[in-house]
Amino acid sequence: MSDLPAVVAVGTTAISSDHRSGNLRDLMLEAVLDCLTDAGLDNLADVEHGLCSYESDHFNLQMTLGAVLQDAIGMLPKPNVRIEGGGATGALALRTAWAYLQSGLCDSILVYGCEKNGRGVSSRTANQLFALSADVDWEMMVGGTYTGFYAAMIRAHMERFGTQEEHFAHVAVRNRHNAQFNPIAQKPMNIALKDVMQSRPVAEPYKLYDCSLLSDGAACILLAREEWAKKHSPSFRQRPPVYFAATGCGTDTMRLGDRYPEITNFRAKQTAAQQAYVMANITEPLRQIDVAELYDSYSGVEIQAVEDLGFTAPGQGGPAIADGMFDLDGDLPVNTSGGLLGRGAPVGATGILQAIEVAQQLWGAADTRRQVADARRGLTDTHAGIASISVVNIFERRD
Amino acid sequence: MSKRVASQIDIQTMKADAENDIWAQFRQIERIAVTLTQSYRHSLGKYSRFFIELERQRFMATGCPTCGRVYAPPRPVCPDCLSVADWVELSGRGELKTYSILHFSPGTNEDVRSLAPPYVLAYVLLDGADTLFPHLLKAPPQQVHIGMRVKVAWQSQAVDHPIHLMYFAPMNKEDK
Repeated sequence: MSDLPAVVAVGTTAISSDHRSGNLRDLMLEAVLDCLTDAGLDNLADVEHGLCSYESDHFNLQMTLGAVLQDAIGMLPKPNVRIEGGGATGALALRTAWAYLQSGLCDSILVYGCEKNGRGVSSRTANQLFALSADVDWEMMVGGTYTGFYAAMIRAHMERFGTQEEHFAHVAVRNRHNAQFNPIAQKPMNIALKDVMQSRPVAEPYKLYDCSLLSDGAACILLAREEWAKKHSPSFRQRPPVYFAATGCGTDTMRLGDRYPEITNFRAKQTAAQQAYVMANITEPLRQIDVAELYDSYSGVEIQAVEDLGFTAPGQGGPAIADGMFDLDGDLPVNTSGGLLGRGAPVGATGILQAIEVAQQLWGAADTRRQVADARRGLTDTHAGIASISVVNIFERRD
Repeated sequence: MSKRVASQIDIQTMKADAENDIWAQFRQIERIAVTLTQSYRHSLGKYSRFFIELERQRFMATGCPTCGRVYAPPRPVCPDCLSVADWVELSGRGELKTYSILHFSPGTNEDVRSLAPPYVLAYVLLDGADTLFPHLLKAPPQQVHIGMRVKVAWQSQAVDHPIHLMYFAPMNKEDK
C-alpha cells in the first residue's frame, strides 16, 4: 500500500491537425469513454471530483469550457475546477489533483483536458492567439512570435556553448521517428537530418521541422487513493501499481530580456526539477529516471531541458543529444511518445498525454517498438510560454 | 453548399474507424464559419510615460532606488526590492545580445502587418540598463550579429501602436 495518488486509468483520442468528426465536447467524451474502458468501469458514478484542463477560450470558441465539459461527460452535480497554466496546463492540472487527493478533499478525481489548436483557425489567427500569451504590451506589439522568442533563446545558447543546428535537428528527427510507434500520434515521420536542415526557415535558426504541431485532441487520467482504486477498478488490481510520486513547479519572468544575463536556459524548469527531485529522493536524475517526456515545443528546447533537468551539465545538452544519449536505445529514452513534435500538442491535453505515455511505459504496456525495458520511474516536463511556469511531475511503479 | 445557410462550409460523412462503431448515427458532420471581431480600450497603465516620451524622441527606463537595477522595458516597481522605481532617460545606444530572423509576420497590428519578412526581432542591452529590450532591428539580416552596436531610431511616419515610434538601427561611424 502507498499513501501516494495512484494512476488508475488513462484515455485519449487520436491527436490530429483537424478533428472534424467532433467538437470539443465530442473529443472529451471520447477520451473519457476510453478511460472508463481502461479502468474497467461502466460509468463515472463512483468518481468524486472533476478537474478540467484547457488553456484558451479563444481557440476553443467557448468560455467556461470546464462547466460545458463537466456536463458533456456526465459528471454533474459533482465538484469541478478548471486549471489554466499556458503550455503547462495539463501538468499543472495533475499537480493540482495531487494536492486535492493528498489533502483528503476527495479520494478519486478525473483529470480531463483538451484543446482545439488545429485547423479550426488559420495559422495567422493561431499565431495571433498564441502571441496573446506573450507580454502583449511589449513583445507582441513589436511583431514578436513564440517561435521568435524561442529562436532568440537557442541562438544565445549556440553563442555561449557552441550548440549547433545539427544538434537540435537530431531531436526533430528522433521524436518524429518515435511517433511511428505510437498509434495516437499526429505526425509520425521517417526523415533524415538533412530534411530538417533543408526545411524552410520560420524564425531563424528554427526551421519548419524544428517546430511542434498545432493539434486537436483530448486526454484524461483517473487518479485515486489506493484504497479507492483497489475497490472500484478491476484494471488497477491487474496491472503493476503506478503512483504519482512527486511534483515540482517553478516560475520566471514573462519576458526573455528580463532574465538577462541568464537567457540560454529555463530557471523555472531548474526550480521545478529540484523540488520534484527532493520529493522523490532523486540525487542522480540521469541514473535514477528510466523514461521522460520532455516539452519539445521546438527541437532546441529539448537541449535546454536535458540540461535544466540535470540529465547533462550546462551546455552539454546538444552534443549528448546528437550522440544518441536520449534515443530509444540510449541511456535515458525521452519523448518515446513522439513528443510535441511527433505526437502533437493540444495544449490542455499535452501535459496529460505526457503522463499517459509515462504511465504506459511503467505498466509495460507501450508498443514493443517504443517500450523502455524495466521502466520503474518516469518524469514529465511541461512549461508555459518560454517557461514562465514550469511543472515537473514524477511517476513510479512500485511492485 | 447550402443556399439557405450563409455560414455553411461543408457537410461530410466521416468514415467509421472501428468495426463496432458506436457513433454510426453521428457520422454526418457540418462545418460553419464563425467570425468574431474584437476591439479594446487598452490602458498602458504605469508604462504610459515610456510611450508618451517616445513621441518626444526620448527613451526612458526605470531605476530601482534601493538596488540600482535599471529596467528597460520599464517596471513601475523593482521585482527584487518592491521599491517604487524612478524614471531615468537612456542614450538609446546599446549592444545586440541575441535575435531571431522571422520569416512570417503575425500581423498583430497595422505596423506589424506593414513589415516585409524576413525581419529581425532583436534583444538589446541598452547602455545603462540591466535587462534586454525586445524590438525590431531594421538592418539586412545577413549583417546582423551578436555583439553589434545598435541605436534607437525614430519613425518619422504616423504609427498605429506607440511602440513603433521607435525601432533599432545599426550604429554607423558618425554615431560614435
